[in-house]
Amino acid sequence: MNPTIAMRMFGADFLKIRKKRGTLIWALVLALLPVIVFFVVGAIQHSSAPSEHSPAGGTSHFETCVQLLGGLFFGPLVAILIGVEAGTGDLAAGVFRDLVVTGRSRAALFASRVPAALALCWAVIVAAFVLALLGTYAFASNLPTPSASLIFNSLGFVLLTTGVLCVVAVGFSSLVGSKPGSIIALIAWQLVAGPLIASIGSLGGARRGVLDQALEHFSPLAPDKGRHGPTLLTMSGGTAVIVVVGWLVVFLALGAWRTRTMDA
Amino acid sequence: MSSADLSGSGLAIETNGLTKRFGERTALDGIDLRVPRGSAFGFLGPNGAGKTTIIRTLLGLTAADAGTMHVLGHAVPQERAQALQRVGAIVEEPRFHMHLTGRENLRIVAAVRGPEADARIDPALARVGLSERADQKVKSYSMGMRQRLGVARCLLADPLLLILDEPTNGLDPGGIQEFREMIRAMVEQEGRTVFVSSHLLDEVEKTCDAAAIVDRGKIITQGTIADLAGGGAARHELIVGVDDPDRALGVLGASEIVLESHRSDEGLRVVLAGEPQSAAQVNALLVNAGIGVARLEPVRHSLEQRFLEITSRLDADLVPEEVKA
Repeated sequence: MNPTIAMRMFGADFLKIRKKRGTLIWALVLALLPVIVFFVVGAIQHSSAPSEHSPAGGTSHFETCVQLLGGLFFGPLVAILIGVEAGTGDLAAGVFRDLVVTGRSRAALFASRVPAALALCWAVIVAAFVLALLGTYAFASNLPTPSASLIFNSLGFVLLTTGVLCVVAVGFSSLVGSKPGSIIALIAWQLVAGPLIASIGSLGGARRGVLDQALEHFSPLAPDKGRHGPTLLTMSGGTAVIVVVGWLVVFLALGAWRTRTMDA
Repeated sequence: MSSADLSGSGLAIETNGLTKRFGERTALDGIDLRVPRGSAFGFLGPNGAGKTTIIRTLLGLTAADAGTMHVLGHAVPQERAQALQRVGAIVEEPRFHMHLTGRENLRIVAAVRGPEADARIDPALARVGLSERADQKVKSYSMGMRQRLGVARCLLADPLLLILDEPTNGLDPGGIQEFREMIRAMVEQEGRTVFVSSHLLDEVEKTCDAAAIVDRGKIITQGTIADLAGGGAARHELIVGVDDPDRALGVLGASEIVLESHRSDEGLRVVLAGEPQSAAQVNALLVNAGIGVARLEPVRHSLEQRFLEITSRLDADLVPEEVKA
């Protein structure tokens, strides 16, 4: 497939999910609202009791925002919503067969979903990150502000965690074929099953296979400020990369296989 | 209507021994189908006969278990991409992204087809009369408009072959008439081949040049509409009203131009051995024998009669012996 057609197919897939109003609104709400609430509540607390509550901005609050968007519930949820929409949109609308009868390979139809989902997911996440930066500086008062390297590393971490989850969501939902089923399963994994498995000591080194644990390895924040805190497993950078790449490869392969072999 | 020569080499669709099974059930049982280029071809059969399954198999939506297929001269699935490059299809009802406009839905398919398809969006919308509603969301469209948008989507391929699965389902009488005219125009003015599956006999008879009748996964017969209606080779029959039926039967029975003659409720039913022009010879024969001829009317065979004959014969074949007894 030539690059022109690849770009056009990416554009078409991006159009489909960008115009899905419900998904986009939920993604924006989940990404932006927690950041807004976090700074507004912090500012109110500080203004009402300055001696008890520090200003709402500064490095410490910026790091909390990074956790909201990268490691905790909200960023991953945005990634799951958008990834699942990209993975199941054609099937849910009944349009997949109309794309197949163009003669274009099913692998190409699957492949174009991935960059489209990533583009929208990252656009929403970057918007939330910029909002977090604005709040960090606007409410910093006399507190220290994050260094440029912390800002860029944090942005990279947030994009990495949401990007990986978004791609996994595209692959998983293409495999399952059901939008609600995929969303429920991925959220259950992200919020319940993953942390639960990571906390079972008897599983030993196998726990390093949990995606969250590997992703947390790339966090620019100190381990005690990360999502997992003391439960974070130590692993080498190489192991973390292998785990993350493994998850991507497995779910992309499964999604592509299902897209290629299913009755349309 | 353009003529459809099923023996010619210019076939838009050709299948040999095409077989598809779903578990124990055989949905397609050794289908040998020949669809001539430049014709409207009806694929006629009752619900559940296997019409949609063959369309899905031809388009690569589901895999065949046995047999070979050629679409526009390309082997499928080996050369599926080339085969489908100039094929437009509506399988079952046309489906769209409801949250997008008609034009956006076409843009999505055009992106998948290739850059040249973009330039066909506006002409395709105009061709189906949707230019003015193209920028409204599809969820606001009526069923008829969605059908037309489905055809517009097919036209993005500048198709040599259109495959339409039950295209008039859900359309009102006006919409059905419009659709028929569109199909005929595509065949007669634009030289496209249109393959229409339908369970509606009237639909196929009024729209198509040739047809295949399918039932229980098998093609029962195929040919031009006239041939099918006549029962294989063209069959010409007359209803003859005479003043002396007994003597007329004797005269006709002795003639070489008459294959068969018998009484019926309407008069004498005469099957001609040759061309329909020999009706004049029948008239002359009777008049020369001194028999008064009050009526001489060609029998118009309908596809419906033929279809009912075939399917009732099939039903009879399937009745267990003990029940027949």
